[in-house]
Amino acid sequence: MDGLLIENLSFSYGEKCVISNFSLDLPLTGMTAISGPSGCGKTTLLRLLAGLEKPSGGSIKGIKPEETVILFQEDRLLPWRTVREQISDVLPKGRRAEADQWLAFAELEKEKDVYPDALSGGMARRLALARCCALGGKLLLLDEPFAGVDVRRRARMMERLKKLGIPALLATHEQDVVAACQRVVCLEGPPLRVVPLV
Amino acid sequence: MAARCRTMGIIMWDKKCVKILLPLAFWLGVWQIAAMTAGFPLLLPTPVSVGCTLLELAVTGAFWRSVVLSLGRVLCGMLLGSVLGCVLALLTWRFSIADLFLSPAIRVIRATPVVSFILLVYLWVTRTHIPSVISALMVLPVIWSSLRAGLDSVDPQLLELAGAYRLGRVKTLRLVWLPSLRAHMSSGISTGLGLAWKSGIAAEVICPPRYAIGTELSKAKTALQSSKLYAWTIVIIILSLTLENVLRRVLRKSRRMNR
Repeated sequence: MDGLLIENLSFSYGEKCVISNFSLDLPLTGMTAISGPSGCGKTTLLRLLAGLEKPSGGSIKGIKPEETVILFQEDRLLPWRTVREQISDVLPKGRRAEADQWLAFAELEKEKDVYPDALSGGMARRLALARCCALGGKLLLLDEPFAGVDVRRRARMMERLKKLGIPALLATHEQDVVAACQRVVCLEGPPLRVVPLV
Repeated sequence: MAARCRTMGIIMWDKKCVKILLPLAFWLGVWQIAAMTAGFPLLLPTPVSVGCTLLELAVTGAFWRSVVLSLGRVLCGMLLGSVLGCVLALLTWRFSIADLFLSPAIRVIRATPVVSFILLVYLWVTRTHIPSVISALMVLPVIWSSLRAGLDSVDPQLLELAGAYRLGRVKTLRLVWLPSLRAHMSSGISTGLGLAWKSGIAAEVICPPRYAIGTELSKAKTALQSSKLYAWTIVIIILSLTLENVLRRVLRKSRRMNR
């Protein structure tokens, strides 16, 4: 089995049911856009796939949480580390030299020695995305990867993301990003459910 | 370029000197005029006579022995209080049962006046060790509350990130915990040092050990040697400012290493 199989997944935040008996079958190749209104449960779904939340029922087959790398909805940059260090810190010892190539990926070579408080929202987002991609893994779970990034840069970075060859699930609202993905899953909720494409 | 930098450096240095020396000269002048007007050296000796007494003291071995031993006692107390404060902060933060029983006790220590502690500790500890114990007791609640506040303020999102990106315990400690705690600990340590120094000297005055600044202060007061009393007070102030300055430099350096 080469796909991601979600069967009867359920999850609640206290009393509030966010996901109930949700099922989805996806091939683990290329880029898949997950689109849907704010608050429908996209972020929760990514967090469940990353193993950051425990489902109250159902199962996820085809990928283990430790094989995924998540890009959080917030940038979560370390305020006391430089742009370059944000990336080299997450890399294992032998791969630290790769930090520069990931800076090029995010088009942040000139900003390598500055601290996050000097970055714009788009720059911080690109850095967070580069840091996430630098970690590798078998599946990238990207929550709003291009929030605040301008359209041209978004297109260039999407191309680079595709070239990495790592399958990715992108929770996004940007239509150009959705259009650039190989497949789209439209969701609504809560509770989360797939909207059939007409 | 180098010459310009040198000139700028000299100007900065001059500005710093003016900022320190000008107010110092002004207040020494005020003191001198007040002493001359009062004309009662037993109550208010002139800065000149105090300066002379200070120079006389500084050439004796007993002076330096008292200074070094007082400093040693206070710094030992500071170290002891800091270690205990950190351990208790970790325990009360991690375990609710420890928080239930230990936190009120630490708050009681913080609320108890230093003089009461000195007299109480005198019943249990030899004079030589009282300043260290008192300094430790004064520092402990400060470090405890600073570290507790720091531990409570660590960003849970960064901790989740460290877990999700599998940074490991050592890296998480180095990259998330320690930098998050630094600001709280810096203010705790500088407040604690000031408290340790003042309470340690107070303990030496009330329960004088053999060689100590507080003992000399107490002796000068008993013998009505005002110049000596003022001279020792100046020594205390100079040492306090020096310690504060050294600590500030160390903390600034650690901040640069972190960033």
